[in-house]
Amino acid sequence: MDNLPDPVVYAVPAFILLLIVEMIVSLRRDKRRYEARDTLTSLMLGTVSQVAGALVGAAVVGAALWAYQFRLFDIGMELQTWWWAWILCFVLDDLAYYVFHRSAHRVRWFWASHVIHHSSQHYNLSTALRQTWTGFFSLSFLFRMPLFLIGFPPAMVFFCAGLNLIYQFWIHTEAIGRMPKWFEAVMNTPSHHRVHHGVNPRYLDANYAGVFIIWDKLLGSFVPERDDEPVRYGIVKQLGSFNILWAAFHEWVGIAKDVWNAPWQHKLSYMWREPGWSHDGSRMTSDMIKARWMAGRRVEEAAE
Amino acid sequence: MTAAVWIQLGASLAAVLFIAWLVRAMGLGADPRIEDAAHAIRLADEAEAGFGGVEVARDRAGFAAIVRNAEGRMLLIRAHGNHFAARPVDASVIGRLDKDFLTLTTRERTFGAVTLQLGKEASVWASRMREVVRG
Repeated sequence: MDNLPDPVVYAVPAFILLLIVEMIVSLRRDKRRYEARDTLTSLMLGTVSQVAGALVGAAVVGAALWAYQFRLFDIGMELQTWWWAWILCFVLDDLAYYVFHRSAHRVRWFWASHVIHHSSQHYNLSTALRQTWTGFFSLSFLFRMPLFLIGFPPAMVFFCAGLNLIYQFWIHTEAIGRMPKWFEAVMNTPSHHRVHHGVNPRYLDANYAGVFIIWDKLLGSFVPERDDEPVRYGIVKQLGSFNILWAAFHEWVGIAKDVWNAPWQHKLSYMWREPGWSHDGSRMTSDMIKARWMAGRRVEEAAE
Repeated sequence: MTAAVWIQLGASLAAVLFIAWLVRAMGLGADPRIEDAAHAIRLADEAEAGFGGVEVARDRAGFAAIVRNAEGRMLLIRAHGNHFAARPVDASVIGRLDKDFLTLTTRERTFGAVTLQLGKEASVWASRMREVVRG
């Protein structure tokens, strides 16, 4: 495999600098945007995520190279000739990210790994670094396999994925309101991504985009941020703890308990159905929460 | 692992601790309190859409509250960092009454036990908890 640098490594100093800038902004505008234990939890989760990624890196590259040998096309890496392939790779990798991300919210197995990223009740740049430890175990790398099968060289795909990750860092902030209209129309922005992290019923399961918000607009998952409804962040059942092990594994523990206790015919459903699903209807999925909220609104409107 | 990897890991941990220290040193953060019954009811609705609280037992200092709805279901709300977290008060929750204090211990160890100073109301809410346990 061709060697390209990992762009994320070069971005780390900028991440730290921007974090400090955002903290200064928070000091002036709203001190509640940061909390020391929350920030420590986010950053520790991010650090261990890097270690976990490094430990399984060889296996992910191996899987990519294995798929790449069955490629449909031979696509080169050289920028002057293959510049269009780089652009196409970046766009298609972002589409693959959208599909992964939507699955990560709609299938409990993938959610168990992704939930770490949503487990903070804060929304600041440290939240961006709160990343999964169990991505490899949950098989999330499979979502990029089509790119290798098309013929995009693994080094090109991983480089584009790194750029995608870097892009997503700056959108985890409340310090920026709205970007210019044309930018909001095409790109994922702090406003769009705040909605994605929201637990307000209106905002649940929306805006899965990585870089381009157009995927949500095309595939029916776009919800705009409203000025009259501030976003509340976190997960439906807030963790209520700064324990990093619990943040990393609580949903896996939940799956294990549910699978153990469920009747045989429902065991698999506790892995592949949406988070909150239960065979006896005793819990709430995001769709049920939204339906209850909508019903409540209709009653309120009728009363008015 | 090579020495370079250990150095990178050590530097990352140092940066993490520095930033967390900086957040505290800059005085960022808040001391959230449940201001009144209306606030507690709103927090319960945020924790569970449409909960519809009708009665509240609020800790004197505002660190926590129990909200009860018309169906008799109860939610325990407590401060967590700058925000709040809630859990249902069901048969698995252990309640302990000590004069004006009611301590609720949930099954979730990471959520911990919550002690509410409720004054004379403490015994009323303790008996409500017993009703929940009896089903």
